[in-house]
Amino acid sequence: MSEKLLVLDDIRMNFGAIAALKGISFSIGKGEVVALLGDNGAGKSTLVKIISGGLRPTSGQMVFEGADYQAKTPAEAKAAGIETVYQDLSLCTNVDVVGNFFMGREITRKVAGIPFLDERAMEEITTKALTSAGTRIPSMRTKVEHLSGGQRQAIELNRFAHWGGKLLLLDEPFAALGVEQTRRGLDMIRHVANQGIGVVIITHIMQQAFQVADRIVVIRHGVVAGDVDRAKTSPDAVIEMITGQALTGAGPVGKE
Amino acid sequence: MTPHTRKSLEFLLDNLVWFMLIVVLALFSALIPNYFQIGIFTNIIEASSVLGVMSIGLALVIITGHMDLSVESVAALSAMAVGILFCSAGIGLGIKLSPEWLMIPASLLVACAIGGLIGLFNGFLVVKLKMSAFIITLASFIWVRGIVLAVSGGRSAQDLDPAIRWFAIERFAGIPLSAWIAIGCFLIFSIMMAKTPFGRHLIMIGGNETAAYRAGIRVTRNLIIAFVMAGAIAGLAGWLLAVRTSGATANLGVGLLFNAFAAVVIGGVSLKGGVGALPGVYAGVLLLSSINTAINLMGLPANYTQVIHGFLVLAAVLLDTFKQRLRQRLA
Repeated sequence: MSEKLLVLDDIRMNFGAIAALKGISFSIGKGEVVALLGDNGAGKSTLVKIISGGLRPTSGQMVFEGADYQAKTPAEAKAAGIETVYQDLSLCTNVDVVGNFFMGREITRKVAGIPFLDERAMEEITTKALTSAGTRIPSMRTKVEHLSGGQRQAIELNRFAHWGGKLLLLDEPFAALGVEQTRRGLDMIRHVANQGIGVVIITHIMQQAFQVADRIVVIRHGVVAGDVDRAKTSPDAVIEMITGQALTGAGPVGKE
Repeated sequence: MTPHTRKSLEFLLDNLVWFMLIVVLALFSALIPNYFQIGIFTNIIEASSVLGVMSIGLALVIITGHMDLSVESVAALSAMAVGILFCSAGIGLGIKLSPEWLMIPASLLVACAIGGLIGLFNGFLVVKLKMSAFIITLASFIWVRGIVLAVSGGRSAQDLDPAIRWFAIERFAGIPLSAWIAIGCFLIFSIMMAKTPFGRHLIMIGGNETAAYRAGIRVTRNLIIAFVMAGAIAGLAGWLLAVRTSGATANLGVGLLFNAFAAVVIGGVSLKGGVGALPGVYAGVLLLSSINTAINLMGLPANYTQVIHGFLVLAAVLLDTFKQRLRQRLA
């Protein structure tokens, strides 16, 4: 956890006259799980969009693997090795499970120079990935619109676990999951982190944050209100950081 | 419900338009004297070639969740360009190329290039500048037809060069080559939509553009290509139109847009995007064409066709809603 994977330095984001982020600075190490906490509207989702290439910050710098990093599109972020699971699911419900699992990364076979989808190979890999993660989906050829919320989220989570990358951003990934599936999801996060992948997880549920995170970063009104090791804090202290009642046990405020 | 009955029900829903086509053909054959003839069926296929090709382009754009109202005027402009260049009477310039067969690729290139350029213009405005596809292509529908009127001065070009006319006259397996072109287009674009990553991406964009973008699919590029394709295909439809009528008139193809829309909707393509496949669209085109033929054979005034087409579109939309409800219950 010594090596820094992503360093955020004084990230600011203005939407017109509204300052959503007023100088966010923190870092994520390799294989480290950081829980990003904060009240509604604190700026968590904005921050995730900036890292994942959906938004460009008004000012500030990001250093990814020791080099300046700035993604204009999600495709660029993906190419750099940053995967994102969004709050509103990114699935095409009009396409089947296999199609969604391989969205934008289809396996093809070239016939006369024209790429054709290799459906059988993709179905095999999807089936293997989903069953090994314990997700029960009757047929890989079912269109996603016919699946339950939990099954949809499972596809999305398994998709990132399969593709890996170097840094993983999860924006409220367990909102629609049951108890057992959430436990599996948290296990999956640990598993991913153990492979040396950095993970940022946004959540509202304190219990989840304490279950899975190595470090807890609290954002409040667009600034970092707390940056602490999980072992050195308590849920009560974190709640106080989120609501801003007191700053007991909190790390540096604002710019480091 | 057992999985088996569910599967067969799904199959029935997916291919509903083909079953409708079979039922309609069987009914007409049984009830209308002289309908059941090979000649009538080849006629149905032949009469549907221009509409069929045009419907492919329209369906492509609608599947991506957009709209192209300009296909009819684009076809007319392409037909007019081919007519002016290669017709020998009327406003035709009667350009000859040697060897003669060179006129075939030359005229095709002209027709498709004109269509492709207009498609590029539409696509750029819609996708890059994020303007409403409905309005942009409605404008193109109007100004492109305007160009047709302006360059022709309201007059027509006749006597297309025999080297190009050849496609409408020569037959293979009893069906004119022009109809084979339509069938070939359906095959090629059906395979493109169902089997290649590009087609898969278009369907995904139609289903959830944000998700496709987040997954790293080049949404902007793919959408513009779809518009260019729709334009080029409309150009090809115009070329077929010129070949079939051996020339071009200023009001060539008026009303085709609505028939193409009807075919696409009847063929099971949803106007909200992401749903539908091209084989169904071809069945929709054949269905319209067989109904036209029946009306002709029964000696009804041709004006009734439009009434019937209108009700068919309504029926198709109702059917689509009904199908969606049924599917939800299946799930």
